[in-house]
Amino acid sequence: MFANVGDELVIEGHRVGEPRRAGMVEEVRGDNGGPPYLVRWDDTGRSTLLFPGADCRIEHLAGATTRKDS
Amino acid sequence: MKISDFALREPVVIGGDATVAETAVLMRKSGVGSVIVLDGHTPVGIVTDRDMVTRGVAEHYPSDGRIDGLMSTGLIAIDADRDLDDLVHVFRDHAIRRIPIVDHDRVVGIVSLDDVMVFATDELSSVAKVLAGQIMFPHAGDEAKAPVPAA
Repeated sequence: MFANVGDELVIEGHRVGEPRRAGMVEEVRGDNGGPPYLVRWDDTGRSTLLFPGADCRIEHLAGATTRKDS
Repeated sequence: MKISDFALREPVVIGGDATVAETAVLMRKSGVGSVIVLDGHTPVGIVTDRDMVTRGVAEHYPSDGRIDGLMSTGLIAIDADRDLDDLVHVFRDHAIRRIPIVDHDRVVGIVSLDDVMVFATDELSSVAKVLAGQIMFPHAGDEAKAPVPAA
């Protein structure tokens, strides 16, 4: 998985009624855009660190920049 | 207070290619109910004793099947230098009971909601002792001082 700072990260709901979760990638900690990612979630407005699973997708947005924070 | 100050239990980890049976044995040996699944050094999921029952036994998943077929993915983690309030927010926002603690991108510990409850109970107990002391010995600092003779 590859992400840039500013990309949107989306996790679709697995069950009926379970909402999708989305947030913005604030920080990319892995090498070459890899996880983990610090994500600011749209629904809570707070950031958490995520090691994404296969059910997660990245939507690359124009203007997003690759950055590896240390 | 930082998370690392009160809860930094060693994480129990296993490779994603381990079998369900091997994971169960590791849980028994380590006395834990959850194991973090790694791909190399990178965490890719977590499997709990409940997962073993509801996704394994109940679904007739073979005991020699890979554990990464049972694990929960999308691992929410927290930095060791974050504070207790941050930790409580993560538990609340994501409806999870265990959170890996990371240093950069490496898992260095795990904290459970139970750990927080035990810590909070200890803190409350300390406050209760102070309160009990004040109730039993009220106005301990208000004793009359010896009168100072008038000049």
